[in-house]
Amino acid sequence: MSIKWLSNQDYEKLLSGLIREYSLYAPCRSEKELGFRLVEEISQIAIEDSGNTRFPPKSLFFPQSEVLMKYNGILHSVEKEEKRKILFGVRPCDARAMKLLDHAFNDEKAPDEYWQSKRDSAIVISYACIAPGGTCFCTMVGGSPFGTVGSDAQFVKLEDGFVIRIYSEQAEKLFTDLPDAQKKMTQAANDLFDQVINGMPAMVEKQQVHDKLLSLFESDFWREISESCLGCGVCTFLCPTCFCFDIVDETLRKERVRNWDSCMFRIYSLEASGHNPRPTKSERTRQRVMHKYAYWVDQINEIGCTGCGRCVEFCPVNIDIREIVEKALHWEMIGGAK
Amino acid sequence: MKNCYEPIPMHINRIVVETTDSTLKSFELTFDHEEDCRKFFASYNPGQFSQLSIFGKGEAPFGIASAAWEGDFVRFTVQKLGKFTSAIHSMHVGDRIGMRGPLGNGFPIDEWLGMNILVIGGGCAFSTLYAMTKHMLHPSNRGNYAEITALYGTRNSGLCLYKPVIEEWHIRDDIVIHQAIDVQEENWNYHVGYVPAVLEELSPKPDNTVAVVCGPPVMTKFTLPILTKLGFPDERVYTSLEKRMKCGVGHCGRCNIGHKYVCKDGPVFTLSELHELPNEI
Repeated sequence: MSIKWLSNQDYEKLLSGLIREYSLYAPCRSEKELGFRLVEEISQIAIEDSGNTRFPPKSLFFPQSEVLMKYNGILHSVEKEEKRKILFGVRPCDARAMKLLDHAFNDEKAPDEYWQSKRDSAIVISYACIAPGGTCFCTMVGGSPFGTVGSDAQFVKLEDGFVIRIYSEQAEKLFTDLPDAQKKMTQAANDLFDQVINGMPAMVEKQQVHDKLLSLFESDFWREISESCLGCGVCTFLCPTCFCFDIVDETLRKERVRNWDSCMFRIYSLEASGHNPRPTKSERTRQRVMHKYAYWVDQINEIGCTGCGRCVEFCPVNIDIREIVEKALHWEMIGGAK
Repeated sequence: MKNCYEPIPMHINRIVVETTDSTLKSFELTFDHEEDCRKFFASYNPGQFSQLSIFGKGEAPFGIASAAWEGDFVRFTVQKLGKFTSAIHSMHVGDRIGMRGPLGNGFPIDEWLGMNILVIGGGCAFSTLYAMTKHMLHPSNRGNYAEITALYGTRNSGLCLYKPVIEEWHIRDDIVIHQAIDVQEENWNYHVGYVPAVLEELSPKPDNTVAVVCGPPVMTKFTLPILTKLGFPDERVYTSLEKRMKCGVGHCGRCNIGHKYVCKDGPVFTLSELHELPNEI
């Protein structure tokens, strides 16, 4: 791993080179929101804007709606993209989320080639968070505002330029012309980290949360914390680690399509017989929380939430997954399980 | 890399109306390509399932109801219930259909060598048990297992699947079959009552015996405790679960019970494995 230095003056030159050679996606500001878009001009990039994009960048590998195949008479495979992608300015929570999604899609026996082909050809350059937002809690779930899981390289913004930490060979090639970062710059980056991390919430006891949630599986807890839930599903649609999908045939277009789905919807698990293992919002909320804080832990010993805070920020009735976890840990103490 | 979402092209070779009310039909599908057939049977294990696929109608999972030795076809017994199954029921011999499979784990029949096999099935969930029993009854496999006993319950005699073969099982001396219906009918000489009650009445011995249970959730729910009561240890009681599924390969997320996916880690679980999982069947 090498550490490079990119001065503010050279930033434009480097980025315009990348934009020419790759399809470069970065957070761009539109009237509605901050979102990952294909960059044509450097001025579009809003990497230093505070806050994260409305939608996580997972949609570049796992679009909200994706054609799996066309069936006009015979079956057609879907063509793959030519130009390599760079995702620039990904926040560490979202970069880590894509690493988690690799686990979900890269089943050994049945790898998901739609995810994998897009993922393989992409380089993820993250951008260290120097001003985490009010709903950010990456440190609570095993991440960090400077976390590098899922990053091929990471930019750390200093006053005069960027310290670039490089973690993969394919990223190394992008920055060969840059000078190595001097000791004082890397030191400044480290100092900045110490400053940012100070005041962020501490990591939860992963195993304790896991055990506690499982022990509450059949408790009234879930009814209480889901009482105000509208079942709108925004928490799952904006979540960087949610990957559930539905497969439907679009008969007019003659296409088989997969669309994002949500465990917060009633028909998600409804069977043809009428039986529904998750008939009310209590069971559905339980599934959302337990998938992230218990089942992922069982599967890969990691919490499947990266603390990006989107579900907290955009929930129309202010349901806060941090509070749910906190409440679960103290459920008996606060008068639950009467 | 093989695309796990791409259905294998098949044709319907034979259709059997199984029940007197015509709600259950068996479809025997043959492969369009020899290569696909070879690959399928190289990995097929009784208890596995496939996604059937009709372009324009979608996909749905069904248990495989045939043993490999029956021939180069794959049988699915389908109950007409929703949109997709209605579409299949309206299809004819010669029609094209897609299949993705075999999927899931199947029954670990190679671990049961030398043991007694107790098969307990109810209604249309009997399909994979039928495939397994047929497999075991084949002359080259029969010697691998000790006594084979089957208990098969249906609401009425007309709803019994695979009637000619079940009749044959009554006559054979290498399998004991107990049939049950809910209410007495004329000329019915077998058991009357729900499967759990009939099981308790039969009181099979748990020694060196594996019990395999497949049925509607309510039957399974009341049958498992009877087996426990009869002394069957949890790790020798097997059941096959069903869930709504889309991908069938562990990606789409919906068929989980706790951290296990029914499609990928199941559909066959032991009772001890189920006790480890949250109660969300």
